[in-house]
Amino acid sequence: MNLNTLYLAVAGLVLAPLLGGLVAGVDRVVTAKLQSRMGPPLFQPFYDVGKLWSKVIAPASHWQGLFVRWALVASLASDVVLAAGGDVLMCFFVQAASASFVALGAFCGNSPYGKLGAQRELFQLLAYEPVFMVGILCMAKAAGGFDAFSIMAAQGQPLLFKLPLIVPGLLFAVLVKLRKSPFDIAASHHMHQEVVRGVYTDYAGRDFALLEIAHWADVTVVLWICSFLWATGPLQMLATGLVFLFAALIIDNISARLTWRTMLKTVAPLTLILATANLVWLYLE
Amino acid sequence: MFGSFLKTSQVKSPWLLHFDCGSCNGCDIETLACLTPVYDVERFGIINVGNPRHADVLVVTGTVNQRNAVILKNLYDQMPSPKLVIAVGACGCSGGVFREAPNVLGGIDKVIPVDVYVPGCPAKPEAIMDAVVTGLAKLKGILEASK
Ligand code: SF4
Repeated sequence: MNLNTLYLAVAGLVLAPLLGGLVAGVDRVVTAKLQSRMGPPLFQPFYDVGKLWSKVIAPASHWQGLFVRWALVASLASDVVLAAGGDVLMCFFVQAASASFVALGAFCGNSPYGKLGAQRELFQLLAYEPVFMVGILCMAKAAGGFDAFSIMAAQGQPLLFKLPLIVPGLLFAVLVKLRKSPFDIAASHHMHQEVVRGVYTDYAGRDFALLEIAHWADVTVVLWICSFLWATGPLQMLATGLVFLFAALIIDNISARLTWRTMLKTVAPLTLILATANLVWLYLE
Repeated sequence: MFGSFLKTSQVKSPWLLHFDCGSCNGCDIETLACLTPVYDVERFGIINVGNPRHADVLVVTGTVNQRNAVILKNLYDQMPSPKLVIAVGACGCSGGVFREAPNVLGGIDKVIPVDVYVPGCPAKPEAIMDAVVTGLAKLKGILEASK
């Protein structure tokens, strides 16, 4: 490992969650505008986390604090792996571990909503993970390597032209990871719905603040991987990430939540078939 | 610097828990009207939450009676401190028209400490939003005094 990699890793560790917070701020402002409201300031998510950090409350179970910290470590680790040009598949598995820790923590609590949310979180993992994984396999096959640098270095022709069929799958993963309708199944995006806050219900105060930071880190990773589709330069990557974000926001505002059954039985197989067809096509080419 | 950011955050991010204690629903409709694009409380960072563990401000509409006093107390106890309580409407403040009913205890300050009272039957959305802002000014005072 040379010094450059170290710098990149540290930058990923610090900047990725901040970027995710900014994404959350943009999300709230744009959503408010779409609903012809004024909306909160851009930095509102940071105030929310600051507020949660300073709250005093006993955890619902003493195991929860441990799982929250593991989830945060896993999410940040996936950022670091990606920023340092590591294996994208590895980054993806580490992030899945983070989601499992969040669910495990919720199982430790007493709230029935938390437990319901935790079960749904596992269903979500089951639904989007295979699709996202095949998407990454397609990228690696098209770019000729699994590490982030070789995918990003696939200059010339953007990967999108070789991988059009993985776009629905990636968008599905973005919607799930951003916890947006129609897939805000595990933790309802708005906080006063029938599952209350789903998997997040039992987390409060400082634990919840840490989870929010982990969530920001996850969002950055997912959007980053999506931006590989047009990795001809940093600006193009940023634009691609924003396109995915805005697509997710618009879908969020025009759709109602689906049930986990529809997600698992219809959306997941459909996107998986498309992505797999793309992979087969790449091999046959 | 981190400390002052945390204090600013506490004032800028009030999450509300709305509890219909024994209201005729008049005040509830006005409270929920605050979330609509016309009033848009989210511009103050306010979010309506359904979970006392995530809430900072408890907004209570209606009177307290023998049955729901326990629930009100329970919700209040589950909220993390520092917390604010806002009594909305004549009923929340004093019992209002239901004051003389045999099962009614009175305003919600009979059970939990109230920070801001909002008069009116029903209270106007503007008055409810003003109450939250007044409550936050009070919280800011408390935070600054604790420095
Ligand atoms: S104050 Fe008036 S509107 Fe509000 S709950 Fe009481 S009776 Fe209904």
